[in-house]
Amino acid sequence: MSVADLDVLEAAARLRDGGLTAADLLRAARERIADLDGDLGCYRWLELAAPPAGPPGPSPLWGIPYGIKANLWARGAPADCASRLLAGWVPPADAAAVARLRAAGAVLLGTLNLDEFAMGSSTEHAWGLATRNPWHPDHVPGGSSGGAAAAVAAGLAGFALGSDTGGSVRHPAHCCGVTGLIAGYGRVSRRGLVPHATSLDRVGVLTRSVADAAAVLAHVAGRDAGDATSTDLAEPDPVAATRRVCRGLRVGWVRGLERWADADTLADQARCRSILADAGAVLDPVDLPDTDLALAAYTILASAEAGADLARYDGGHLGPRAFGGDHAAAAAAARTAGFGAEVRLRLLTAAHVLRAGHADRWAGRAARARALIHRELRDLLHDRHVLLLPTAAGPAFRRGERTGDPVAMRDADRFTVPASLAGLPALTVPTTLTAAGLPLSAQLIGRDDGEGALLTLGAALERGADFDARRKESPWRRR
Amino acid sequence: MAEALIGLELHVRLATRTKLFCGCRVDPAAAPNTHVCPVCAGLPGALPAPNAAAVRQGLRLAAALGCTVAPDSSFARKQYLYPDLPRNYQITQQARPLARGGLLEFGDDLAPGRLTLQGIHLEEDAGRSRSVHDGRVSVDLNRAGAPLAEIVTAPELRTGEEAYQVLRALRRLLRWLDVSEARMEDGDLRCDANISLRGPDGAPGPRVELKNLNTARGVARALEFERARLHARLADGLASVPETRAWNAEARRTEPLRAKETAADYRFLEDPDLPPLTGLDAAAELARRALPELPGVRARRLARLHGLEPELLRAVTADRAACDRFEALARYAGDARAAARWCAGPVAALARERGAAVVPGAVRLARLLRLEAVGRVAPPQARALLPLLVDDPRDPLAVAAAHGLTVAVAGADLEALAAAVLAETPAQVSAYHGGKAALLGWFVGRVLARVDGRADPAAVRAAVTRILTRGGPPSP
Repeated sequence: MSVADLDVLEAAARLRDGGLTAADLLRAARERIADLDGDLGCYRWLELAAPPAGPPGPSPLWGIPYGIKANLWARGAPADCASRLLAGWVPPADAAAVARLRAAGAVLLGTLNLDEFAMGSSTEHAWGLATRNPWHPDHVPGGSSGGAAAAVAAGLAGFALGSDTGGSVRHPAHCCGVTGLIAGYGRVSRRGLVPHATSLDRVGVLTRSVADAAAVLAHVAGRDAGDATSTDLAEPDPVAATRRVCRGLRVGWVRGLERWADADTLADQARCRSILADAGAVLDPVDLPDTDLALAAYTILASAEAGADLARYDGGHLGPRAFGGDHAAAAAAARTAGFGAEVRLRLLTAAHVLRAGHADRWAGRAARARALIHRELRDLLHDRHVLLLPTAAGPAFRRGERTGDPVAMRDADRFTVPASLAGLPALTVPTTLTAAGLPLSAQLIGRDDGEGALLTLGAALERGADFDARRKESPWRRR
Repeated sequence: MAEALIGLELHVRLATRTKLFCGCRVDPAAAPNTHVCPVCAGLPGALPAPNAAAVRQGLRLAAALGCTVAPDSSFARKQYLYPDLPRNYQITQQARPLARGGLLEFGDDLAPGRLTLQGIHLEEDAGRSRSVHDGRVSVDLNRAGAPLAEIVTAPELRTGEEAYQVLRALRRLLRWLDVSEARMEDGDLRCDANISLRGPDGAPGPRVELKNLNTARGVARALEFERARLHARLADGLASVPETRAWNAEARRTEPLRAKETAADYRFLEDPDLPPLTGLDAAAELARRALPELPGVRARRLARLHGLEPELLRAVTADRAACDRFEALARYAGDARAAARWCAGPVAALARERGAAVVPGAVRLARLLRLEAVGRVAPPQARALLPLLVDDPRDPLAVAAAHGLTVAVAGADLEALAAAVLAETPAQVSAYHGGKAALLGWFVGRVLARVDGRADPAAVRAAVTRILTRGGPPSP
């Protein structure tokens, strides 16, 4: 096994016992990028920084190479959001999360591919670059943080930061067989995250283990004066939470999935239940809030907010400049030239659902549906620490399979949007491989401020499922 | 003639050090784009954080206007495409504004008009765009994000003059509270107006919005023009349409800007970047308790206490510092009328010319008034003495003496001097008694010249008159 495949915490231990240097880690990651990224298409831009010198700092992230989704700010790194409209745009500072990683001594490798402006579930809607699933080149890596998930899966980064609006960290984590973690809304500052839909956007973490995810979250979470919605994480020691016993923790498992989920997924859910029960958790079945309603509400609200969040790209100081005609004509020209089909579809949806006289029928109803789903999930979690459900109904779909069908594409978010709408923490843990060699995963949804129990149960599930053993079957480990 | 219904939309730039949602200084006069950061430039990923000082200023204004403040207030995105609006949405308030209702007093403080307000909301200012050659537009974002309070009034005014009085009253209040500099010429205070005529059925007719009203007088003139225009259309049997018109100050007429049918759809959306402001009712109560005595209330109290004439009252209540000076001076000087005359005249002039900070304190001013009252310094010399007190910390009498401004002669001495001077010109005295009453001034001038002007002209006149009268006409 190459050092490129080491978990963050393993690598940190070996940096400290002198068996490994930061230069070794960086070299291994860059070699892996050189070997695989031509086929995988994870990175949009690569940093050429030297590894940190001197003895390791106090943080376990010191010297660990990582990547960020190309919608996060890092000094000097273009944050083009995989959009032609923002081609070459370099943000003026680090995102809050990136600044904290930089201070800890983590080493930025580059920016990772995504669906344009994080809108999509396959990383196929990206300008100039398509990312493939490292487990199978004919399949998508999921989205929208597809580049991040694929890079972490195949050892092209020690970990990655992504963003999750309706499932954009969890879905690609599922497709690529990595851990995807989002803390409750606001626990990680959004300062320096290019907005997609403000009230839903979260910065999330992609890693090769639950403990790694906890370690990265511990660094990036916490109140930041630059984001008025940010708050501190309730769990004081996320890494320690992954080592706690789960005896007595209560898990509501979602029943009635037969309507959507494939047989492999249903079987995997049953296995996850027995793993958690064996670990001492108490399980009972629950009914998930109406996922059709959740998907509809999500589609309307995310689009409505995206309409405002993307309004600034008018060919003025952002986007390709268009001259001639009035301002509106110039903006229309810049947007037509700069935005891809999916983004344009969302902007049209936004204009429709907020237009005068109709806002209550669309955006207003969606907001009420969101409140309802939030209340139902809160009620379910009143007596339970987490909910167990799949991340998606089946493994990663084939490339091109859903590009012409936005409704089918959105169906990939069916199990992830409820936690998004409610702002609850959620964790995707890879569990097994299908016969075709594609990963499956389980999703845990935690309580508000329940990141600790979420990580405890996630780590127990990870130990029981032992997906790590299946990683040996991966194409890049068999090479 | 059909009654006009006039309402105002007033934008007040709140006096704060920094902008509403970022740490940039508010300095619209600075070189273009020198006070701009990622937040007010609208870079994607830069987030707004509310400025507590702006909220406090808004609450102070709300408290002074007697608005109702709910515990919570939220921000919304008002979406419209404009080059000087970096995000292409303005952060403003809609569903839950800072304050609702309220009343603004205007006109005569002793019998004020009371204008109903719909409420106050906070919002960020836009930048400024300027067309440059070949169709390009240049944008200065120094102003973008400056904190504004928008006050919307009910359509209760009837004339342009009333609107003018409202603007004056608001300007005085804003400065009184230190809530805004309120200079219309600098855009601290901006006014849009709307006007409609009441139809024969009593219902308001189509509403015309007026923009580009850059001065208080401009507001009054534009409204009067528009009122006349609407009346003329009515008289000609022409229907009016809802529309937006701009005031052309040079041509002194309103001109169509856009038909209301094509008005923008702002697609309001609660702003998820900004959690609702909370605890505002309690903060508003604190603001209310911290308010100074408000101008109208104070004017009525001073009128009751001192019985000042309307003109003097208006002058001493023009601003809070002047009012403070007057009250302090009245207390020390014991003569409110003299204090008011001094404050309205020379003291106000001094404050205007050299700044309020240099105006001597009430104790020294009272001493000056006393010197005048007892005749140690004649009125013209007393006026001349005032600016000298700014740079000379000694007692006013000492300063007056040092500059030769004390009265050289008074009382019996003055009487004797006047008699002596009159005795020098018997021919003129005879002429005076013969009917040339105008010579009185000439006698007074001669007496004053003898003492280099250091006597009270009124006392001299009295003495001269007395002697001439006592002497009686010379016997034939």
